[in-house]
Amino acid sequence: MPSDRLVERRRVFQQYKEDVKDRGKPFYPYAMFHDTVMSLVVVTVILGLAIIWKYTTPGNHHTTAAGWLGKLYDKPADPGTINFVPRPDWYFYFLFYLLRIFKWPHSVILGTIGIPTIALVLLLAIPFLDVRAERRLLRRPVAIVASILVVLSMGVLTYKGATAKEALGTELLAKVPSWAKKQGFSNNPTAIAGARLFAESGCLNCHTYLGTGGHNLGAPNLSAEGAKNKGIAFQISHLKCPACVNSGSPMPSFAGLGQANLTKLATFLEASKGGK
Amino acid sequence: MQPPDEHPHVPGPSLWPVGVAIGIVVLLVGLIVSWYIAGIGALMAVVFGFLWVRDLTAGTALVHAPEVPPESPTGPALPAPAGGPAMPPAAPEERYPRAKFLELSTLGLGGVIGGIVTVPAVGFMVIPPFLKQGQKDHDLGPLSDYPQGKYVVATFTADASQGDVSRRTAYVRYNGQQNGLPSFTIISNHCAHLGCPVQPNGPLDPKGTKQFADVTLIPTVSIAGFGCPCHGGQYDTEGNRIAGPPVRALDRYSFSIRNGHLFLGRPFSVSHVDGSGATAVIHKWTQSFPGEPVNGIESWLYPVQPPH
Amino acid sequence: MATRRLTRSQQLQQTILYPLDWLEERSGLVGGVKYFLFRKVPGDINWFQTLGSAALTAFLVQALTGVILAMYYKPDPTIDPVTHLPVAYQSVTHITNDVFAGWLVRGMHRWGASVFIILMFLHMGRVFLFGAYKYPRELNWIIGVLILASGLGEGFTGYLLPWDQTAYWATVVGININGTAPFLGPFLAQFLQGGTYINADTLPRFYSIHMLLIPGALFALIGLHLYLVVRLGVTSPPWSKEAAGTGPLEPPSQNGRSGLVSPRARRRGR
Repeated sequence: MPSDRLVERRRVFQQYKEDVKDRGKPFYPYAMFHDTVMSLVVVTVILGLAIIWKYTTPGNHHTTAAGWLGKLYDKPADPGTINFVPRPDWYFYFLFYLLRIFKWPHSVILGTIGIPTIALVLLLAIPFLDVRAERRLLRRPVAIVASILVVLSMGVLTYKGATAKEALGTELLAKVPSWAKKQGFSNNPTAIAGARLFAESGCLNCHTYLGTGGHNLGAPNLSAEGAKNKGIAFQISHLKCPACVNSGSPMPSFAGLGQANLTKLATFLEASKGGK
Repeated sequence: MQPPDEHPHVPGPSLWPVGVAIGIVVLLVGLIVSWYIAGIGALMAVVFGFLWVRDLTAGTALVHAPEVPPESPTGPALPAPAGGPAMPPAAPEERYPRAKFLELSTLGLGGVIGGIVTVPAVGFMVIPPFLKQGQKDHDLGPLSDYPQGKYVVATFTADASQGDVSRRTAYVRYNGQQNGLPSFTIISNHCAHLGCPVQPNGPLDPKGTKQFADVTLIPTVSIAGFGCPCHGGQYDTEGNRIAGPPVRALDRYSFSIRNGHLFLGRPFSVSHVDGSGATAVIHKWTQSFPGEPVNGIESWLYPVQPPH
Repeated sequence: MATRRLTRSQQLQQTILYPLDWLEERSGLVGGVKYFLFRKVPGDINWFQTLGSAALTAFLVQALTGVILAMYYKPDPTIDPVTHLPVAYQSVTHITNDVFAGWLVRGMHRWGASVFIILMFLHMGRVFLFGAYKYPRELNWIIGVLILASGLGEGFTGYLLPWDQTAYWATVVGININGTAPFLGPFLAQFLQGGTYINADTLPRFYSIHMLLIPGALFALIGLHLYLVVRLGVTSPPWSKEAAGTGPLEPPSQNGRSGLVSPRARRRGR
């Protein structure tokens, strides 16, 4: 015996079919015209993007340098690389950033499989979770709130995924001249050598400095380290054994760099007065 | 418009035209191959042609197609059930109706056919990745290339037959002698979170680069650990995780020494390492994919590893 | 039978209609196409409802450019002994730099992928906000989600094909993400990779999935999706006052259930 709700639905659908037959317009040419215009827009956009991609690539449009829309191609795949920063295609940035949010190792599986699978299952189940016949937006608060939240969160995650930067040695080395200018040690070769060591040794994986770097393990910002006037000797002994100077510090020892390198690093740190 | 024909005038079934056709074919083949065959073909065509014409002109006895008497060993045919097309119902006295037998054998044979086609094909698709995995030991060069206490970035081609796609990098450190034998720490550069290439946190010394066959060795000046550029994982100099999402320590390789050369062996996964250098205690597990914890409760999610 | 001569336009009409009638009598296809083209749709449909066909256009662009690219692309990761570059990578740079209009077709394919995915998401959002997934269109929604998942799978498998650094490492991470699924994860990852590590068989595997397996599924799913749209009809926008299916005014919430209560009375005696 069909339920009242089912009978009602069928009646409404029948009504819909009759209304469309009576008062509807033929798909061709009315609706198809709209579709055709939109399709033209789509094809033009794709064509335009392809042209911009190629013709804004510098170097006679043939190189691995990036144009307005990114590179035409990168260097060939090297499975043995040690200085490449992997990134997915832009429409996966939200998933990529989700993986950076779940930093606690036991939660990794939530970010990789858990949340995307749950989202997919929810998506599939929507017609069975929402069985009301109501379609007017103002009477569907849950739908509106849910869609706003989803759009916002995916937008934010995608943006943050796009701007996520890593403290990659080769990229940071390129910044040393601008650091020298900002901090004013361009004429101090020891400090510059120290800055290069700072860039290569992974310090910015945990510390931040003049707007770059990562925030890990509570490592402090070092842009104004020199303004604290702790002295070169202190910096060297700290670098050799951070936990001796700061008990409980998770920072590893850099004693292996040798006294000469440590002096350069310490000079650099003491020269970092905070920038202009 | 002509009224539709109730009984179209068609000849009855006959095999003579087939004979004529075969005769013509044999004739044409014989023209190329041999005159005898051509002769036989001509004879066949003529004889069958004569018989065929005789059939056609044998009078009007074959105006109607012969009536086929109904063959119903089970009795008169039952009327088709009302409604759409469906399986014919069985007669009341049948225990095992013909229709049922045909249905079962059709489905059964169909299943067999499907199996014959798909099982080998699907097997071809699914099984090879799990067979014959694992590679031979790889020669990483003389022991003298490895200074004590410093990591060396060793890039090599694991399988020459595959070529560059099997290039890999390992961080190799000679720890000195332990119990009279050389001790090495060999760490894989694939992050234990999701497999990104892990970088040494320290400057390299490119001037000291050495080359041995397909192996490139770049010594480091000194490193304070390893960092991963993808999601911020950090490891110490023994490969233990100190920060970020990696779920265990970096994988390591076993090794052997033959004729004064270092040979790279099979990789294995590590949950954590106690101590450091030659006296480190390495907690070993079977090689697992990145992102899979090897100990603790979460390792129950991955009870079986495929053959590596 | 007319005895006077036919006018020119009647002659022209007959010339066009004759092959169509021939085809229709033998296949019924022409009738099907006519039904599709001239079926009635609500008179008040919105521009937002063009997003679905826009996504279809993007997909067709992908299919066409993909087939053409396949004539020049070589899914071979081994190194060419002469140029010391992977063959697949070389074929991509060859397409981009040397082949006539290769840069254009490759660019359209690469950006068409992004446009296709954006349009799918927008179309999905539109269907959701219009409530067009409700009875009797639930099956169509499910098919749509499967199309979305397949489209993302195409993006993932296609990303590896240029075989440059970006492609390779993004794929390593993607495969390992699959590997973290409980129980079967490691087997899935090893199956996708074609082995314990990415090897010479991985690229052809991804190519086959990208070119044949998922497009086959997509064609079937999209065909089903369109069939259901034609069979079940297109909805009016939810704010439409002339909405089809609202029927005569019903008393509000007689038994607490909210149904399709019309915002205002329609013409009596409809």
